[in-house]
Amino acid sequence: MVNVLAATHPEGTVYGEVGDVTVPLRFSAAPDALSQEYAALRERAAVLDLSGHRLIEITGPGAVEYAQRVLARDVEYLTSDRCMMSLVLDDAGQVVDQVLAFGREDGILLASSCGAGTRLLEHLRAQADDGIEIADRSPELVLVGLEGPYAWGVVGRLIDGELASLPFESVVETTWDDVDIVFARTGFTGEYGYQMIVPREAAAGLWSLSLEHARPAGQEALELAMLEVRQPMPRHEATPGATVIEIGANWLVDVTKEAFVGREAVLAAFESGTGRRTIGFTCADGVPAAGTRVMAGDQVIGEVVHAVHSVGLGTTLGLARVDRDLAAAGLRLSAGGVGVTTLTSPYIVPKSWSIPII
Amino acid sequence: MALRPVVVTGLGIICAAGRDPAEFWRRLTTGQGGLTPVLDEAYAVFEARHAGQVPEEWITSQLPAADAGLDRTAKLALVAARQALTQAGARAGVQAGTQAGTQAGTQESAPAGGPGGSVIAEPGRFGVILGKCQATPDVAGRYQPMHRTGDVLAERLELRGPRILVSTACAAGGNAVGLAMDKILTGEADAVLAGGVDPLLFGTYAGFAGLQALSTGPCRPYSRSDGLNLGEGAAFLLLEPLDLALARGAVPLAEVAGYGLSADAYHATAPDPTGRGGAAAVRRALAAAGLSPQDVHYVSGHGTGTPANDAMEAKVMRLAFGERAGQVPTSSIKSFLGHTLGAAGAVEAVAGVLALRHGVAPPTIGFDTEPGDAPATDLDFVPNVARPMTIETVVSNNYAFGGNNVSLVLTRPREPRPYEELPRREAVITGLGPVTGAGTGIAEVSAAISAGRRAAGRAPSLDGRTYAPRSLWRHMNHLSRMAIAASRLAWEDAGLKLPRKALDDVGLIFATGAGSSESTGGFDQSIALNPNKPAVLSFSNVVLNATGGAVCQTLGLRGPTTTICNGGASASIALDCALELIRAGKAEVVLVVAADERAGGPAGYADQDGVVPTPYEAGAAEPVPGSAAVAFVVESAEHCAERGGRPYAHVLGTSHAPHHPTDTPPRATADTPSSTPPDTADAASAVGRGIAAFAGAAPGVVVGAAQDEREAAAVLAMGAGGVLTSSAALIGDCQAASGAMNIALGALAVRDGIAPALDGLTRPVAGEPGRYLTDPALPEPVARALALTAAPGSVYGAVLLGAA
Repeated sequence: MVNVLAATHPEGTVYGEVGDVTVPLRFSAAPDALSQEYAALRERAAVLDLSGHRLIEITGPGAVEYAQRVLARDVEYLTSDRCMMSLVLDDAGQVVDQVLAFGREDGILLASSCGAGTRLLEHLRAQADDGIEIADRSPELVLVGLEGPYAWGVVGRLIDGELASLPFESVVETTWDDVDIVFARTGFTGEYGYQMIVPREAAAGLWSLSLEHARPAGQEALELAMLEVRQPMPRHEATPGATVIEIGANWLVDVTKEAFVGREAVLAAFESGTGRRTIGFTCADGVPAAGTRVMAGDQVIGEVVHAVHSVGLGTTLGLARVDRDLAAAGLRLSAGGVGVTTLTSPYIVPKSWSIPII
Repeated sequence: MALRPVVVTGLGIICAAGRDPAEFWRRLTTGQGGLTPVLDEAYAVFEARHAGQVPEEWITSQLPAADAGLDRTAKLALVAARQALTQAGARAGVQAGTQAGTQAGTQESAPAGGPGGSVIAEPGRFGVILGKCQATPDVAGRYQPMHRTGDVLAERLELRGPRILVSTACAAGGNAVGLAMDKILTGEADAVLAGGVDPLLFGTYAGFAGLQALSTGPCRPYSRSDGLNLGEGAAFLLLEPLDLALARGAVPLAEVAGYGLSADAYHATAPDPTGRGGAAAVRRALAAAGLSPQDVHYVSGHGTGTPANDAMEAKVMRLAFGERAGQVPTSSIKSFLGHTLGAAGAVEAVAGVLALRHGVAPPTIGFDTEPGDAPATDLDFVPNVARPMTIETVVSNNYAFGGNNVSLVLTRPREPRPYEELPRREAVITGLGPVTGAGTGIAEVSAAISAGRRAAGRAPSLDGRTYAPRSLWRHMNHLSRMAIAASRLAWEDAGLKLPRKALDDVGLIFATGAGSSESTGGFDQSIALNPNKPAVLSFSNVVLNATGGAVCQTLGLRGPTTTICNGGASASIALDCALELIRAGKAEVVLVVAADERAGGPAGYADQDGVVPTPYEAGAAEPVPGSAAVAFVVESAEHCAERGGRPYAHVLGTSHAPHHPTDTPPRATADTPSSTPPDTADAASAVGRGIAAFAGAAPGVVVGAAQDEREAAAVLAMGAGGVLTSSAALIGDCQAASGAMNIALGALAVRDGIAPALDGLTRPVAGEPGRYLTDPALPEPVARALALTAAPGSVYGAVLLGAA
């Protein structure tokens, strides 16, 4: 899918394919583009092109009941002023996607993870029953994000100061530059975060407005910042066969809910007490590829799930999935012959945690 | 629409910053704070030791000997209340605010007349509305009913008009002043003594210490904001209509131009960080006053000195006053006297009136002006030095646990002017939500009534469905769960489907006799074990409005909200508040929810089938205590018709009468033979006065509250052939929830033609068995039903419902 905002992105923007969408990875071809964008995200405020997150609306008399069945968290009382993150699982308990669910007056609106919209939509339609309608709203609506320790100030300048200090996961309908939008306090990076659902035809204009107060950050900076606070990224972490518990996304599942698709599999995984667990690690040399074996002495105990160079740490940061008894911080292990040290998350403490909104 | 102007004609105050209004004002304007270290050894366990304490001598020197045996709450309240009456009674020409204290100090007991015998109002039209946050320990430290202090005031000061105990925690004092204004606007009272009181209590101190909310030194609101100091005190304002005040030659000190209430619907203790809730209260208050933000000269802030409050309040200022925020001086007097909780709003209203009178804004003392220490701000907190300035309009704000906000608008007294009566607007009950031992939801309860079940003593069941998001539910105590379930059931029963925006204006009135005994017990136990390890989650639920706040949070209601604590009469008083909101155009839909639980919580239950006494049977045992929550939706008839709702009943009228058990018996009348013992005689006349308003209404069914001889006699004396029944066998005695259940049953009888039968009744306490309902299916449709509520020793209530 082409990028809605492509026309507004600067020349030199580096695009990449993520799932079913083309997204800006970096907004410049300059060698320091990633670190510049990352710095905006962690030090000031960055505007995020989230147009690759598919917006899917579920309406009809059975909408809430259906959403309650297909989402792994409890959304029965998700009112139109709240949103929450949840996993969508299949019957085998495998992760279909991780969504941001917005309560709406007449149903629920889901934002898929980046590039996962087609897969999510197929799954939702396969699960659909009478009394609900599932509509792909991405032809009309676009998601734009704003995150960073001073993102609240940008919200104040751009939209409305009152909204900056909205409680986490609160949603309001408001206007931005006379355009009706849905505004939510939420985010991916541990920094102050906001997401705006805007009409597609107004998206480019609002994006350009944002650039007067914040610099854009691409998918690479965003995913790096997500990794640093252990925000799950299904496209990297939901490897085939891995259970929710192995992925470490238990918090996106609510087993106290009586029924939802995949619940039995999750419970079985909980009860089995076996399997691997995911842990962060760092290493001095190189970035091990996903699938690299992780060793404790001469024993294979797991494999690397995902690793990158962390601008914040100045070194490698990765996730490994290892035997559950060894999924602890502070262990010296090796991956592909290189020594690695396991870490406790978050791996970077977001600056927002020590900055009050004034 | 200009409503009848309501003015303040008397002030009374006793707090750490002064024993009377004159001393209080002198100290506020000269920056002499009253925070001192607590010397009581019991407090040595806490790191934070500063508090606003009232010297014992200030109390004893102002109280007659007859009051010496009262508890501290009542003593503080009486001192301040008498000062207000004394000043209000002063004839024109006596300078206001200067002699009240000294006069009160030598006064024996000033009845409602004030000095010189000047009659302010007939006792029956003289009300008392008291705000209070904490429980009411007697001299030995045992809990008394929450409304006890109000009853003491009413008895000692001969106030026999509307009597309300409002307990919206730290917003209660301001809320009381607003409700007093309503009682004058509805015409129920010609004068109301409104105020707040709270003493310094060890448990509360430990709770705030446990929340890490106390400052280790004197608090420094709006600058260091490193915590609050607790304080104690009482403050009262005497409110009356401007025309009557002038007619009797009183000096109006200020007008109460309007007030606004709101719910944060955000969190049990933390304020909504956006300031939306606080700003909504200010906007509503200004709208009620017919004023705009431009008219406001000074804001008396809540300014507790905690970081959460002070940061939120700055946002309220910006939201409410926009670009003018920096030009509207706002100060907190809490650094003079500490946070007096339920009294704070009244204390600050007194300060607001004095600020108007003298044209001086009191300062925020302890304000840190050194650069670099405080976050940069454009707001004007009147740092450290009082400021003479033109003040025509004051806004006084308070924010409380449970997310209850209140804003009062006070103005300099204006000339008498034409006014309109508060419009009469028809209101209907459109949804019922009982959560009782007899069933959960109106369908189950109706079935139980038809089957003649006696479920008194049975615990309500909340199994089988959900009522709230699990993430909230799991932190709720039992009382809040019952209240949430009842509220949601009433809401669903009413068939209300309102968009988010409309929910911002839906009111919620919570009624409870004693709040959560589970949380109170748990908290007290934790303090007894170790004062430095209080059960903080329980502490946040000890305030009586916590459950109301939890309902607002769960249902997302952000309209006007308050909490009424008048024992078994709470629900009918809460209904009054709902009707006033609708009449004043402040809400179209108001949810009234009443909840109480038996001591010991759900575990206190045993299967008590077979031992349920028959109400009104001569010699029957006391009703079985129980737990329940009952909610009903009150809606303007207009709103209900527009949405095609199906009402249960019209609310045709409400009436309340005081009951003073210590009174001398009134002269014998038809319904109170002179041979009856004094208490019985007075109670009967109290019930009688309550229902007298509906003497000609001929209700087909009366749902009684007290189930005793005096009530039965008074009802049967009404004449018309209606039958008497009760909810006591069906659900037990559930205090405030029983009152709400009676109202719900009255509404059900009118629409669906059923009511609980008193089978087994053979020897009624009064009248013939034929005057009691013995078959749940009413023989013919009833056009009217009368529901009674009762808080013996305090207030009796009556609600007349008619077919819709």
